[in-house]
Amino acid sequence: MTPFTTVTGVAVAVPRANIDTDVLIPINRLIDHAPAELGPFLFEPWRYLADGSPDPAFALNRPRATGAQILVAGENFGCGSSREHAVWATAAQGFRCVVAPSFGDIYRNNCFQNGVLPLTLGAGEVARIVDELDDESVEPVMSVDLVARRLVTPAGRTIEFEIDGERRTALLEGLDDIGMTLKLAPAIRAFEAADAEARPWNYRTTEETIVKQLLVLAGDGVGAEVVPESVRVLDWFVAERGLQVAVHEEPFGVRSWEERGTLMSDATWAAVLDADAILFGAIGAPEYTHIPAEERRTDWLLEMRRQLDLYQNLRPVRASEPLLDASTLRPDVVRGVDMVIVRELCGGMYFGEPRGITVLDDGTKRAVNTVVYTTAEIERIARDAFVLARTRRGTVCSVDKANVMEFGALWREVVTRVHAEEFPDVELSHMYVDNCAMQLVRNPGQFDVIVTENLFGDIISDCAAMVSGSLGMLPSASIGPRRADGRRSALYEPIHGSAPDIAGQGVANPLGSILSLAMCLRHSLDRPQDAALLERAVEAALAGGARTRDLAAPGDTVLTTTAMTDAVLAQLAESGSSHA
Amino acid sequence: MTAPGAALRTMFDKIWDAHEIAVLPGGVSLLHVDRHLIHDLEAGPDLARLEAASVTVRRPDLTFATPDHAISSAPGRTTDTNPAGGALLRDMRRRCASAGIRMFDIGESGQGIVHVIGPELGITHPGMLIVCADSHTCTHGGLGALAWGIGASEATHVLATQTIRQQRPRTMRITLEGAPSPDSTAKDLILHVIGRLGVAAGRGHAVEWAGAAVRALPVEARLTLCNMSIEMGAKIGMIAPDDHTYEYLAGRPMAPQGALFDRAVDAWRALPSDDGAAFDTEHVVDVAGVGPMITWGTLPEHVLPLADGLVPDPAAEPDIARRDGLEAALAYMGLRPGDPIAGTPVDWVFIGSCANSRISDLRAAADVVRGSRVADGVIAWVVPGSVDVQRAAEAEGLDRVFRDAGFEWREPGCSMCLAANGERVGPGQRSVSTTNRNFVGRQGPDARTHLASPAVAAASAIAGAIAAPRDVRAGR
Repeated sequence: MTPFTTVTGVAVAVPRANIDTDVLIPINRLIDHAPAELGPFLFEPWRYLADGSPDPAFALNRPRATGAQILVAGENFGCGSSREHAVWATAAQGFRCVVAPSFGDIYRNNCFQNGVLPLTLGAGEVARIVDELDDESVEPVMSVDLVARRLVTPAGRTIEFEIDGERRTALLEGLDDIGMTLKLAPAIRAFEAADAEARPWNYRTTEETIVKQLLVLAGDGVGAEVVPESVRVLDWFVAERGLQVAVHEEPFGVRSWEERGTLMSDATWAAVLDADAILFGAIGAPEYTHIPAEERRTDWLLEMRRQLDLYQNLRPVRASEPLLDASTLRPDVVRGVDMVIVRELCGGMYFGEPRGITVLDDGTKRAVNTVVYTTAEIERIARDAFVLARTRRGTVCSVDKANVMEFGALWREVVTRVHAEEFPDVELSHMYVDNCAMQLVRNPGQFDVIVTENLFGDIISDCAAMVSGSLGMLPSASIGPRRADGRRSALYEPIHGSAPDIAGQGVANPLGSILSLAMCLRHSLDRPQDAALLERAVEAALAGGARTRDLAAPGDTVLTTTAMTDAVLAQLAESGSSHA
Repeated sequence: MTAPGAALRTMFDKIWDAHEIAVLPGGVSLLHVDRHLIHDLEAGPDLARLEAASVTVRRPDLTFATPDHAISSAPGRTTDTNPAGGALLRDMRRRCASAGIRMFDIGESGQGIVHVIGPELGITHPGMLIVCADSHTCTHGGLGALAWGIGASEATHVLATQTIRQQRPRTMRITLEGAPSPDSTAKDLILHVIGRLGVAAGRGHAVEWAGAAVRALPVEARLTLCNMSIEMGAKIGMIAPDDHTYEYLAGRPMAPQGALFDRAVDAWRALPSDDGAAFDTEHVVDVAGVGPMITWGTLPEHVLPLADGLVPDPAAEPDIARRDGLEAALAYMGLRPGDPIAGTPVDWVFIGSCANSRISDLRAAADVVRGSRVADGVIAWVVPGSVDVQRAAEAEGLDRVFRDAGFEWREPGCSMCLAANGERVGPGQRSVSTTNRNFVGRQGPDARTHLASPAVAAASAIAGAIAAPRDVRAGR
């Protein structure tokens, strides 16, 4: 804010009482114009003739008022609406000070926020200044000195004025209220903690605080190494950002077998069903060969997807600026890529019946799989994609094979209808999947949100993954429908899998898991700002040169799994402190 | 009830003190904000300012958003029906999602004028401190909240800190004495009071409305009364909560539930001003016999009783500045001194706005309209205050009553109250509006606005001229 000390300049009087903010700035102007452009619209209803030319009779248009910096006004100036645009228009017109017998309360407050001095003088005093300004024999120049709290009228009279101390200091120094208040954050925190005890109904609707349930299933291979790192990051948000979440861990995979003699205990399954979010590591390890085939028959990750109906799979792909060289694509192709692939995960060929292999009469075999999609299944994933696009750049590309297959024709028909009926504000395009695969390597920057069915999504999300340069970086989310009680299940996992070749060495890249936690903060824990904070911390750690083995170029210092997490935590500590 | 020896406090004092985190140098208080409401004109730009300063929203859970100002109210409206509003709405959606702010979007339950949905959803409670970048935030005082409108910079400060810096205002009690006429409404009472006290009477004050005529008002009518506190210069207006308030709030989706609600009510019962508590300023306004009122000029204080009011003659005004103001208002409004205000032909009727768009308002208007037709040449709109009001009205068949009479039944929003969305009264045209401001250009360039209750607006639509409800009913 520009400091206000003294202003000496031309003054102009518009002394009518009760000038409201609709007259100061008509509403349509404040929608169509930036604050700095509002000057010509100050007093618009009075200032111009019907043909749009300046009305010579209006005070501001008189030659004497040219370049005016001080406005002398009537009683209750700036009454009515709270629009700060009224002050912005005042300032943009060139006024640094408004002198009046009284002001609308909100307008007056807004003045102080913008370095405009609202100076209150007695009605008689203001009337005398107006008379002096009307006197053509006197130069219409006034001087306002906020340091000395003194005003000199056109006729040369000196008037002392009062203004409260803090307001005066803030104007003199051009202080920023937000910066000053943020320094009081400890007092605000303490107040809120005590107030939440004293008046809990202001903060929640039920006697008990509802805390989200987060289940940690580290699982097999490097999952057991990276997920604990994400939990360390989660702890930071609990300690430093007031995140409330109940964390519970269960053994999964080989560890479950070793500890409990089963790959899925009743306790673990109950926890799965009750969780608001599951932080999942990976499944798959050489040790499975030691487990009886009967026990191994169920793929528990698939079973969770099925039972929890985790139909919405989100695969964000972002080109990290420090890692542009790691991609197999040219840096100029991948720079700035920021897309999310929304994959339908509970339908299509993976679940369609009939399926199977039959032996034909001649002894050869015949394999059958079936793609099945219903209107309702397409509608819900399409809605998710459109809702997501509204929070991003507002474009959706729906990927299908409508030219060849019936399910593709239905897909396109339903997506088109949902768009027209519910999301006309989002831009929708359609693309055949073969073309999409090509476009992803040709010009990946064109995509914002891609929505597609299960099998196509499986393929093109892996294709898109290569933009990032390392699978170790990529997170994913699989989200279920909202249930009657308002809750929804969700599972967050890095896409890299159990990586048995490097498991147990402490070298795995934890960022895929940590970025999955960021997705969990955004989609399940209602903390999108913290998600963004974490994503920026990861980016900053990479920019600072932090590299695990999968990312390292020759000559780079290679960090362990734990050290990479430490680098992220260090960035969080730095940025997070300014947000406390 | 107050412990012996304790200082007697007004309701304002109690709520203010309970929210004071610190008194800063110069006597400015740093106050905690319980609810921050944001709308489409301010949400995007204010959140953008915050982002530019690399600051996050401190309490998205205490912040609630809905588009109302710049969206179209046209039936079947979408994001871009009003193109300028579409850009604001897109930005608002994106930024609210990024910040984790709950937004009630167009087409879904909960969307509506921000001062209608706050009470309706139970977001507003007695004893809360509520701010919003809209001067009619004083509406929420009807439930016993301390609520006022703020500017964009202050709103950005609230987003960043969940606090507001504020100079403690003086207190004012306005007691309404006497029994108003049975055909009057809260709108008529507040117009009468503003006519008596003027548009600047409440400046610098927090107003508590009191007296039997206030206590007798149903909760929605109290919201109407408090809504127009700002039109007499008071950015805060409030009414002590009572059993009607608690019954109104019980079971609303965002109000406390079960045992927590009971605890809250116990606390709310301690909010009303202590007997004998002193106010800095007291006014007593006689409202005995007050009936339907209507404004004639360009300030809410330019008000007349509808039945026998005559357009004033500026020549009778001794104060030169005031006389100038009256003359300008008369010229703008195209009226002649001495003419009866009743019978003035109208072009438009607008029923809506945060003053009068709740279900009780629509019922009152429908009672006048039922079985009649809008006069030829008059365009009449009903814009419900929220999606929930709209649905409730449709469930009662009120939409049919209005449509059958020739009214347009539209989608919820601020609409023509401030003409921010392209919905305007034409130049030189005359509208009877249930809104709160008759300022020059408020409903469109050179538009002429007469403020009145929903019943008067409905009657004027039927008569094709400013008319009292009883005249229309009698003529049927």
